[in-house]
Order: sequence, then C-alpha cells, then structure tokens
Amino acid sequence: MRPAPTIGIVGNDVPRQLVSAAGAVPRRLTGSWSGPIGAEAAAHLGAVDPVTARILTELLGPDAPALDAIVVCNDSQAHLRLFYVLRMLGDRGIPPVHLVDLPRQEDAATRRFAQVQFTRLAEFCSRVTGVQPGSSAWRRAAAGERAVGDALTRLRGRRRAQPAGTVSGTAALQALLTAASVAPEDAVLALDAAEEEPDAASLRVHVTGSNHPDTALYVALERQGVTVVSEDHDTGDLSWLGVAVDGDDLATVTQGLVAAHFRRSSGSAVSTIAERASLCRTSAETAGAQGVLALVRAGDEAPLWDLAASATVLGAAGMPLVRRRGLTPENVEAALADIAAELRTRGGEPA
Amino acid sequence: MTDGRLDSAVAATAYQREWFQGLREATAGGAPLAFVNADAPHEILRAMGIPYVVNQWWASVIAAKRMGPASLARLVAAGLPDDSRQYDALALGAQDLPSEEAPWGGLPEPSFAIAERGGDVTHKIFELWGRRPATDTYLLSRTAADPAPAGWWADVEHRWEDVFGADRIDLLTAEIHGLIGWLEERTGRVLDHDRLAEVMALGNEQAAWNRRTRDMLAAARPAPVAVTDSIPSVMVPQWHRGSAWAVSAARRLHDEVAERIERGDAVHPDERRRLMWIGRGLWSDLEMYRSFQEEFGAVFVWSMYLAIAADGYARYGEDPVRTLAARFVGLTDLLYVPPMSSSWYVKEALAHGVDGVVHLVADDTPGASFITAALEERGIPVLEIRANNADSRSTQNARVGERIAGFLRTRVPARG
Repeated sequence: MRPAPTIGIVGNDVPRQLVSAAGAVPRRLTGSWSGPIGAEAAAHLGAVDPVTARILTELLGPDAPALDAIVVCNDSQAHLRLFYVLRMLGDRGIPPVHLVDLPRQEDAATRRFAQVQFTRLAEFCSRVTGVQPGSSAWRRAAAGERAVGDALTRLRGRRRAQPAGTVSGTAALQALLTAASVAPEDAVLALDAAEEEPDAASLRVHVTGSNHPDTALYVALERQGVTVVSEDHDTGDLSWLGVAVDGDDLATVTQGLVAAHFRRSSGSAVSTIAERASLCRTSAETAGAQGVLALVRAGDEAPLWDLAASATVLGAAGMPLVRRRGLTPENVEAALADIAAELRTRGGEPA
Repeated sequence: MTDGRLDSAVAATAYQREWFQGLREATAGGAPLAFVNADAPHEILRAMGIPYVVNQWWASVIAAKRMGPASLARLVAAGLPDDSRQYDALALGAQDLPSEEAPWGGLPEPSFAIAERGGDVTHKIFELWGRRPATDTYLLSRTAADPAPAGWWADVEHRWEDVFGADRIDLLTAEIHGLIGWLEERTGRVLDHDRLAEVMALGNEQAAWNRRTRDMLAAARPAPVAVTDSIPSVMVPQWHRGSAWAVSAARRLHDEVAERIERGDAVHPDERRRLMWIGRGLWSDLEMYRSFQEEFGAVFVWSMYLAIAADGYARYGEDPVRTLAARFVGLTDLLYVPPMSSSWYVKEALAHGVDGVVHLVADDTPGASFITAALEERGIPVLEIRANNADSRSTQNARVGERIAGFLRTRVPARG
C-alpha cells in the first residue's frame, strides 16, 4: 500500500484533524537547538531565531525530509519569514507551501478570517492528497485526534504527580515532539510510552521563555537536579495536539476548530505580556512547581518582553523566577551550571 | 552645486516644531492625543479631530537628538530589553526621561496608543504603553502578505482587492470600524464619514504630487536634491497626511524640485556615482549621506521615503473605511516582502539610474536577500549592511561609513 502523504508543519496553528481527515500525516518541523546553519539559509532569513534557520537549512540540504507539502504558520516572525523564503524558492524542489495566518484577538471579524484560513488549509491538504473528506473521514479524524488528547492527559498526570512524577521533563518533551510528527495512532503510542523516572529529591520547575525544538536543554537542565514538570511553550504543553471537533462536514469542523483556536494559549510571539505572565503563574502553580526557569535563546526576542511582568506576577505568588537569556549552544552549559543552586537560594526548596 | 537646503524641508521642519509645541499646549489643556504606529490608520484620527504622533517619527527625533542610548537605558531599568526592536521601543523608553532631557520638551502622555500586531514584539511594546496611567491601547491584526504579486504599483491604487486579497481587507475594515467605535466611546465624538472621504481624497492628492516629484527626480541628472532634504520634505507631510497643509507641502516640494532642475542645480557638481539607500533612515548620522560626495562624487539620489509616498499610499474607492483598510493592509509588505519588494526596488533603481545600492538590513525586515539578488541580477552592485538604524551603537559597530567607502572603491566604478 502506498504510504500516506506527509505534510510538514512549521509552527503551532495547524489543527491536525484537518490534515488527517484529508488522508495525510502531519509532521511538525521544529528544527534543532544546535547544529549548522547553512549559508544560504542565513542569507535568506537574516536575523531570525536560529532554530528556524535550521529548519530551512534542513529543507535545502541533501537530507531534506520527504514531504509532499509544507504548511507554515504565521505564529512568529521567524516562521512568517520562512514562509516568504520558501515561496520564493519554489523552483528549488521545495514542495508546495501554504500559509496559515490566524488572528489572535477574538471577535466576529477575526472568527470569520480564521474560518477562511482553516477552510483554505483543508482545501490545500485535499489538493495534496487528492482526498475530499466525507462524513466518515471527519469522524475518523476526530476520533484519532481525541485519542491523542486522552493520551496527553494521561502523560500530564504521570508527569505532574506529587510528590514525584514518573516521567521526567525530557521524556515528556520527547514524547510531545514525537507525537506532533506522526499519525494519531502512533502519537498515542509515543505519549503512553514516555517514561524515565526523575529523582524524587529534585526541584520541580516550570519552564517558560523560548520553545524547545529538541530535548537538548532539558537534558542539560535535568542534570542539574531539577525536573521540568510543566512548561508554557508551544513545543511542550502548549503543542496543539489532541483537539478534535465532531462534525460531518468541513464547515462544522472548522467552526469548532476556530472556537478552539481562540480558547487556547499561544507562544510568546503572538501573546500579550499579560497573557504570558498569567499563564506562566497558573501553569507553574497547577503543576506544583517550586520555581520557574525562564530560558531564552539568542535570536528569540518575544520572551524577553515578558520576563519583567512574569517576575512580578510570580513574585506576588512567592514563586522564584530564575532567568537565563542569550542562550547559544556554546554558552548553555555554563549558563545552566548553577541553576539549581540559584533556584534553591531564591526560595525554591524541595517540599 | 547647491549648498542651500530645500525651502520645503526647512518649512516642513519648522511647521513640525510649531505643530508639536501647539500639541503640547493643547494636551496640557486636556485635549486627547493618540500615539500611533506608522502602519495604523491615521486618517480616522484626523477625521475625528484627534491629534496624533507617529512612533517612528518620534523615534527618529529621539535618535537625531542623540537620546537613543538614554532612552534604551530606561527600558533596561524597567526590566525590558534594550537590544530588541529598538526603533519601535525608543519612544517608550524616552517617555521616562526627565523632561529637561526629553527631545522637544517631551511627548505629552497620550490618551490612546494604536498599532497593528506586526512582528513578535511591537504589540507588546504598545501593550506597555497601555499600562501607563493615562493611555489605552488598541491593537489591530496584521495579516501576512498572501498573495504577494509582483508589479503591484500598477494596480494598487484602484485594484487593491486583487493586490491584497479581499479576506485581508475584510478583516482590517471590520477592525477599523471597531477602532472608530472605541474612539467614539472614549471621546464622545462621532466620525463623519464624509469628512473621512475628504481626508482620503486629500491623501490621494498628496500622493499624486509625490509621484510627480519622484518621477522628476528619477529623470534628473545630476541629482538636484539631497535625500537628507527630501526625507523631511516628504515625511513630515506624510505624518500630516489628509490635511490641506500636507497637500500644499507636497506641492511645494514638487515645485521647488522642478525649479532646481530647471536651473540645473546639483547636490554635487561632479556627480560620478548615483546611489540608492534601501532601508530606514540613519537618523543618528544624517551627515553620512553627503560624506562621499567630495572623494567619490557619490550622491544618494534615492530613499524609500519619497518613493513609497509616490507608489504606496494612493487608494481610490467608494467606501472610505474599506479604502483606508486597503491603504494599510499591506503597506509594510510592499517595502519588505518579496517579490513585492524586490520587484519594486529594481523598478526604482532602473528608473533612477543608480550605479550602486547601500542596503541597510534591519533585524525585522524579511526578504532582504531577494532584494539584493534581484538588483545584482540586473547588474547593480549592492552593499548589505546589517544594523539597526535607530541604535547608534549598532551602526557604529557596523562601520557604515568605512564600508560604504570600500564598496565605492571596489564595486562601483565612476561614470566616464
């Protein structure tokens, strides 16, 4: 049997149900924390988040993933630039590229615009696969994605259990990244298989700031005697996974997905400072974190503007915030070396 | 050689100073003031009689007065970064400078801050304006340039639905209606749509004068006007767009340029290299633009300010609010998103007969490489400089003057 077409997804605004219903596998492209950035990618993208430059490096390189199409979300300036660049490089063997451009403030006009965007996305996916979903396809895709949502809930429960969870932050992040890149049934397996018991004596921390395209920083961090029990970035707990809408046709499903879009929390680049600060505190408290760690990599500007407000909000809750900004693969080990000690000094003693 | 400044530049600058002092007096008397980003629909404010200050203009004043570093230091003191979107953020930092240090006596506290949600950070900066005790913030969506047709300048005045796409215009139109209601609620004033139509018509008239001026300058040899003069002559009226004064200022610039061409005036009598400056103005070092004339006979004949005023602003339509949405929905895209941007810069470079291009690439401008490549493909050498125009630390690090001199020596041969 011919494998299902694969649609690469950059960003966190794509409802996977729309992709699955058209018979494609959504594969999130997150880039990587470290690794080379090709000269051509650097020239085209300029001063963007280097993680995005690595996505372009990969897409232009000899080991580019086999994709039938690419969907790029306008959920950060770096991703939008990547879309513009990919559109210009259409004659370079880049598969068809499509933009998803979602407004953030909910009102009647933005709901209409978002619905048009989801409808166009679904039509694009159908053009890629040649499949026009009927009622059963919509239902099947909803069921598949709902199963992912259930597995996600189970993972969160295991991760956040107190006094000590049974899944480390590293294992959880890896499961989330895997789940975002495979078909729903495989995503469920990945989420349920996540295990790697953390040290019960370690500090429970919530991570805010930049998103994490791979587990490198979590590994380095958890070596320092902390466990990441939650995060508010869009490759971790905020990944748009497991959202399903029951319906027999495109209009009904997209309407439900638009509502879901405006209900969810987003990454820093498209959120207000107030939203981010509030989300940071709520997430940390819900997860029983003892402190918050803000990790901001060099080239990722938006989180820098949230930090002062987050510190104020967390301070009011008696929650310490430790910041490390300008992180690069070269300086990260030194930057994280004393993080556990600083958290403890600032009041984040283990319970 | 013409050493004298353009009367229109002197007049525009003087008008702006006088206007600003009048603004300070009016706001001291309780009048509302709006602080807006360049891409926000100013015409609504003008039609409602609400004075406004444009963020980018105010940032240029702060930078020109060399108060950029002090303003950025204020951001740091508030726990905010000083190395992110400095051009958008300077004014926020400057607002906390002691009044004796603030340029032109300082910006009165605005009642309204209005911006589109462009990029990752601008909306956060305007959110912070909204946390100041006297200021409320209104944010509009910024949709992406999809579609992005090349050759837009031939269609954008009338066939803007095709250029930008109806969905984008629908959204911004609805949001501008929302802004109108928001302002009406807070000021007790009511927008007169006939007045808005008048403001739009004046804006189109202003753009038409700018187009004639740009076309004359493109054809003129040698260049009769320094860009450091044409920039204030165009941009001060741009921030008063839709007023009778702005139209008369645009016409005055046109007439003065025509007179200079007629007289055979030249910025530099021995013009041997014609240069184009792509990117935002280097406000902290305007002298730089004239510093290559003596040694290289190199004259900057083009900046985006007059050119986008000529090609980017005019919109004609029946419904003034929808037409206004069409003016702003993709204004920045025209300058920065390929192929819209790259095709336009090539058109302008060829029309102006430039021998070389200095391309200042800011952190937040996408597609710069495609602009450079498109120009180079047409045989026009390009020097790319990556720096922030509003942050003198950044431009010093980029060694702008030194690199331009090297570029002229090695890649831009003098005309015979």
